[in-house]
Amino acid sequence: MAILEVDNLKAYYVTQTFGRSSTVRAVDGVSFHVNKNEIYGIAGESGCGKSTLLKAISGLVKPPLQILGGEIRYNFADQQLNILDLKDEKQRRRLRGARISLIPQGSMSVLNPVRRIKKSFEDVIYAHLDVSEGEFEELVKNHLEALGLDWTVMHTYPHQLSGGMRQRVTIALSTILRPEIIFADEPTTALDVVVQRGVIQLIKKIKEEQQNTLILVTHDMSVHATLCDRLAVMYAGEIVEEGDVKSLFGSPKHPYTSMLLSSLPKIGDKSARVSAPGAPPSLANPPAGCRFHPRCPYAVDRCRQETPALRQLNETHRVACFLQEAGSMELQGRAANEQ
Amino acid sequence: MLKKYYIPRLIQYFTVLFIGVTLVFVIPRLLPSNPVEHQLSRMMAQGQYLDPSAIQAIRETLEQLYGLKGGIFEQYVDYFKRLFTGDLGPSFTQFPTPVTTLIRQSLPWTLGLLLASLSISWIVGTVLGGIRVSFPRSKLARLIELLIMGVRPIPYYIVALVLLILFAFLWPIFPMSGGYRMGVKPGFNLPFILDLLRHAFLPILSMVIIEIGGWFLQMRNVASNIVEEDYVVYAEASGLPKAKIIFMYIVRNAIIPQITGFALNIGFIFGGALITEIVFAYPGMGYLLYSAILAGDYNLIMGINIFSIVGVSTAMLIVDLIYPLLDPRVRYQ
Ligand SMILES: Nc1ncnc2c1ncn2[C@@H]1O[C@H](COP(=O)(O)OP(=O)(O)OP(=O)(O)O)[C@@H](O)[C@H]1O
Ligand SMILES: [Mg+2]
Repeated sequence: MAILEVDNLKAYYVTQTFGRSSTVRAVDGVSFHVNKNEIYGIAGESGCGKSTLLKAISGLVKPPLQILGGEIRYNFADQQLNILDLKDEKQRRRLRGARISLIPQGSMSVLNPVRRIKKSFEDVIYAHLDVSEGEFEELVKNHLEALGLDWTVMHTYPHQLSGGMRQRVTIALSTILRPEIIFADEPTTALDVVVQRGVIQLIKKIKEEQQNTLILVTHDMSVHATLCDRLAVMYAGEIVEEGDVKSLFGSPKHPYTSMLLSSLPKIGDKSARVSAPGAPPSLANPPAGCRFHPRCPYAVDRCRQETPALRQLNETHRVACFLQEAGSMELQGRAANEQ
Repeated sequence: MLKKYYIPRLIQYFTVLFIGVTLVFVIPRLLPSNPVEHQLSRMMAQGQYLDPSAIQAIRETLEQLYGLKGGIFEQYVDYFKRLFTGDLGPSFTQFPTPVTTLIRQSLPWTLGLLLASLSISWIVGTVLGGIRVSFPRSKLARLIELLIMGVRPIPYYIVALVLLILFAFLWPIFPMSGGYRMGVKPGFNLPFILDLLRHAFLPILSMVIIEIGGWFLQMRNVASNIVEEDYVVYAEASGLPKAKIIFMYIVRNAIIPQITGFALNIGFIFGGALITEIVFAYPGMGYLLYSAILAGDYNLIMGINIFSIVGVSTAMLIVDLIYPLLDPRVRYQ
């Protein structure tokens, strides 16, 4: 069952400079759903709108970010709601941190530098629960213990902790109220490889224990490969391909996905890694047609003029590319040959 | 912490004091005019007749008094000896009143004036800056910002003169000048205090109008950067109440540079507010320094400078000492 359904979401940054308004179409018509209990990955290069998407669906919208259309529906066991209908900021606050939880990008600096860790825990818990001090301590102690963290971290300031430790504490804090959905934005990016593995294991452990749904954003494809059930690939504010991890990694259908995957190291492969040539377009003025066409090795005239829709290939796989449409067999063959 | 943080700062403090006080000793001695000859020629210009032996006697007495006797090193040692006993020598122009007496008379006026204007402008500027950032869509806050930014570039003396013309001349509800009215007996009684406030009102207002802008801008700029910080975004993502985010996350972090700025500015008080005190003929340190410079009263100039040096460097020391209390990142290095 889908716990989150996003329909044709448009989230733009609208800024006014010297009377001229400019619009960055950071999330431009995105639709997807996330099933209960799954780990849903979102991949894509820097600047393609991943963080903006997470902010929009967790209701963290404030100028210059604006929602210009679409729906975001949560299907909790006891309650169904469209977060865009919650006009009252108080109602959104009640949701955030308790039922949905966002671990924002920049894990090194998400904790208030002048507050002890314990204070941060108090802030979050007392914002949502009416508990006594004893209950507070018990709640936190149990949670920390389950995550293999020591109570002594509660008396430290963030800067006294190592990067990995800080990220663990942040994860502990984000999951203390057993949220039904966790959004994690690049939770491992700033960490070194060994620490990364520990943090990933921690996330996995919490998810198994709390039985919640996890949406994981990272541009690290190997993290997606080890953790996720399904994966969406974003490019320039749009989802260009989505599928279960096995079929997506096994036979990527979108040239952009292939490009991302070809930058992954494979065991036994000694050839040099090719990183994707070129850079994503400016979202203030995205190219016409398929937004990927300027970088696509298979682009034809049609790609420059028409925008491909995200089409269902089979039950689990969707892709937005003319290569995959019936009647483009010739193109497809060429693509296969070149691969 | 004590060894790595406090001791080096104390050493630095005393070094700065020593160098500053030494400069005050050296600079007047590099000047081409000799204060003793200056004084003597003034006595003669007043038409006093003095025979050469009397002149010589006076010269020696003056040199003794001003610490100009003997070799330069001897003078230097003597200078420090006198400093430690709190003796800054006599004033030239109000001979033989000691410089310390003059300063002691002027200091309370300046302290009152500047502490009041500094505190008021700091509080108002900081609060308004915080409000501007916490409620970015408030029309009123934006209007206030526009007003502050409009007033800020006006030169200080124009503000002071305009206030004086408006409220002391055209519509004379405040006095033109002075610290209190002649004839009111200074003391701790209501009429005197009211008179004091009436005299201080315009000078303080003129300084507050100008100084609010700086505090407002600093608070606004620091706080609007903090609003973008990950820990504020995270606090919002965790559903903390808005008041908690404003006070414990945004203001609590933005206030650190405000507090250190306030403490530093207390140090500058000892130099007085030159232009304010001249425009309003206010009997403070600035006015004292101004008349000392006009009259070439070296001892007095040196005395005021020493006070300023001690004031500024002590304020800096205090900033260093309180900083760890404000920011744990310094406390636990
Ligand atoms: N406050 C803002 N004002 C204007 N434009 C913004 C703002 N924040 C982000 N953008 C723009 O929106 C686009 C998407 O940004 P977003 O942060 O969502 O990307 P991302 O995929 O998370 O990238 P990264 O991997 O670097 O985190 C970018 O082009 C960015 O420049
Ligand atoms: Mg991001």
